Amino acid sequence: MSILSVENLKAHYVTEKRRKITRVLAVDGVTFHINKNEIYGIAGESGCGKSTLLKAMSGLIKPPLQVLEGEVKYHFDDRELDILALRGEKERREIRGARISHIPQGSMSVLNPVRRIRKSFEDIVGTHLGIRGGSEFEELVKSHIEALGLDWNVMHSFPHQLSGGMRQRITIALATILKPDVIFADEPTTALDVVVQRGVVQLIKKIKQEQQNTMVIVTHDLAIHANLCDRLAIMYAGRIVEEANVDDMFQTPKHPYTEMLLNSLPTLGDRSVRESAPGAPPSLVNPPSGCRFHPRCPKVMEKCRLEVPELIEVESGHQVACFLQEGRVYEQTRELGANYH
Amino acid sequence: MFKKFFIPRLIQYFTVLFIGITLVFVIPRLLPSDPVATQLQRMTAQGQYLDPAAVEELRESLEELYGLKGGMLQQYLSYWKRLFSGDLGPSFTQFPTPVISLIKMSLPWTVGLLLASLSISWIIGTILGGVKVSFPNSLVARAMELVAMGMRPIPYYIMALVLLILLSFIFPIFPMAGGYSVGSKVGLNMRFIKDLLRHAFLPILSMVVLEIGGWFLQMRNVASNLVEEDYVVYAEASGLPKSKIVFRYIMRNAIIPQITGLGLNIGFIFGGALITEIVFSYPGMGTLLYSAILAGDYNLIMGINIFSIVGVSTAMLIIDLLYPLLDPRVRYQ
Ligand SMILES: Nc1ncnc2c1ncn2[C@@H]1O[C@H](COP(=O)(O)OP(=O)(O)O)[C@@H](O)[C@H]1O
Ligand SMILES: [Mg+2]
Repeated sequence: MSILSVENLKAHYVTEKRRKITRVLAVDGVTFHINKNEIYGIAGESGCGKSTLLKAMSGLIKPPLQVLEGEVKYHFDDRELDILALRGEKERREIRGARISHIPQGSMSVLNPVRRIRKSFEDIVGTHLGIRGGSEFEELVKSHIEALGLDWNVMHSFPHQLSGGMRQRITIALATILKPDVIFADEPTTALDVVVQRGVVQLIKKIKQEQQNTMVIVTHDLAIHANLCDRLAIMYAGRIVEEANVDDMFQTPKHPYTEMLLNSLPTLGDRSVRESAPGAPPSLVNPPSGCRFHPRCPKVMEKCRLEVPELIEVESGHQVACFLQEGRVYEQTRELGANYH
Repeated sequence: MFKKFFIPRLIQYFTVLFIGITLVFVIPRLLPSDPVATQLQRMTAQGQYLDPAAVEELRESLEELYGLKGGMLQQYLSYWKRLFSGDLGPSFTQFPTPVISLIKMSLPWTVGLLLASLSISWIIGTILGGVKVSFPNSLVARAMELVAMGMRPIPYYIMALVLLILLSFIFPIFPMAGGYSVGSKVGLNMRFIKDLLRHAFLPILSMVVLEIGGWFLQMRNVASNLVEEDYVVYAEASGLPKSKIVFRYIMRNAIIPQITGLGLNIGFIFGGALITEIVFSYPGMGTLLYSAILAGDYNLIMGINIFSIVGVSTAMLIIDLLYPLLDPRVRYQ
């Protein structure tokens, strides 16, 4: 059963400078569903629109970001809603933080530098549960952070007094204190050193096990996906090009871009330096025509330059947007075209 | 923290004082005019007849008074010695009143004017700047921005003159000059305080009107950068209400550079206060300095300079020392 469905979402950054309007097609027609209790991964090179997709999914839309089309529907146990259609900012706010929450990038400083950690917890708990300080607050927070292996004393510290890894753990505790239904994590391990990364991954697993939330993990690091996720989507230039179970994705990748990404991954025991994906990701202001990957694709065909491939199911639960996969269909279209002339 | 924060600031403070006060000693001695000769000339020009022996005696006592006796080093040392004993020499226009007591009389007026105008303009400007950033597209916010930008380049004396002409000449609501009405009984009673406030109103207003714009714009710049900070974006993503985000996240952090700005601008604002005083003939240091310059009263000019240097640097030091109270990153290093 899906808890979140995204239909044909288009979110662009529209900026105007000296009467010239620039439009970055950061998310450009994305459709997918996330099942309840799964960990869904989104991968892709940096700049392909992953963070923008997360922003749109949590309704954090403010200029220059605009949603042009599409819907983001949540199917909570007690209610259904399209977060982009919610009128009031107040309604959206009630959902954010309580029903859905964010684990930010490891390098980010999301804790207010001039206030003690405790205050950040007070703000969130006070806003959503109405509990303002006192023993009820302390019990709630203490049991939560101690379950995550953190010491109560960190509550009295200021963010700058703690290590990056500790801050990230605290942020995760903060994001999960209200047992949200859906957790979005945007590059949660990026910029942390390897040992800390492992700790963060363990922490996320632990929370998932205890709270039974649904998680969306965005990172360019495929090793994290392999370790954490149930299903995985590969994004390229604002679109999803492949979606499958993690195992299927790693064993039988179908999109040339996915293959390229997996080839750039170091394998165990292999000491040769892996080439990273050749070529550079395209500009999202003027993306290539047809399949956006075609300028970098080793198997490019004439059609790829002209038409946009649809995301189609080629095996059960395995969807790909590539003309190579619709070989038969492709032949038919060509015959049809030939008959026309 | 003591070592890392206070010691460097104290060293800086004393270095600035030392250099500033030394300059006050050096600069007049680099000027081609000889104050003693000028003074003697003035006396003879007034038609007094002085025999040469008396002139010589007078020259000697004048040199003594100006601290011009002996070699440079000797002069410099006795300059410091006299400073430490609080002796700035006598004033020449109001001989033999010591310069120090003239300054003591006018200092409270300047300090009052500065404190009142600074605190009012800083608080209002800071709050308005925060409001502007929180509701950037509201009509009021945009209007404030336009007004602030328009006011910024206006010099102090123009604003003071405009208000003076408008509100005490054309519409005689406020007194034209002075710190209190002539002949009023000085004391802590309602009547005198009211009179004081009526006289202080225009000078304070003219400074406040000019300075609000500056604080407003600075706050706007700082806060509009803060809006993009991770912790503000995250607070929004956590569903915190706007009021909490504005006060506890944006404004609370923007206060720190606002305080730095206070320290950086205090010298400039002090200068503005002196000029404003002159326009309103307010009995503070500005008016005192003005009359001292007109009369060529060297000792008085030097004394006022020394007091200005000490006053402004001390104010900057105090503001610096407030810093750790507001920023835990400094407090707990
Ligand atoms: N505030 C913004 N204004 C304009 N363009 C933006 C903004 N934020 C991101 N972009 C652009 O949108 C595209 C997608 O960015 P993002 O979603 O951050 O990618 P990712 O998270 O995959 O690295 C990039 O080309 C980026 O330059
Ligand atoms: Mg990103």
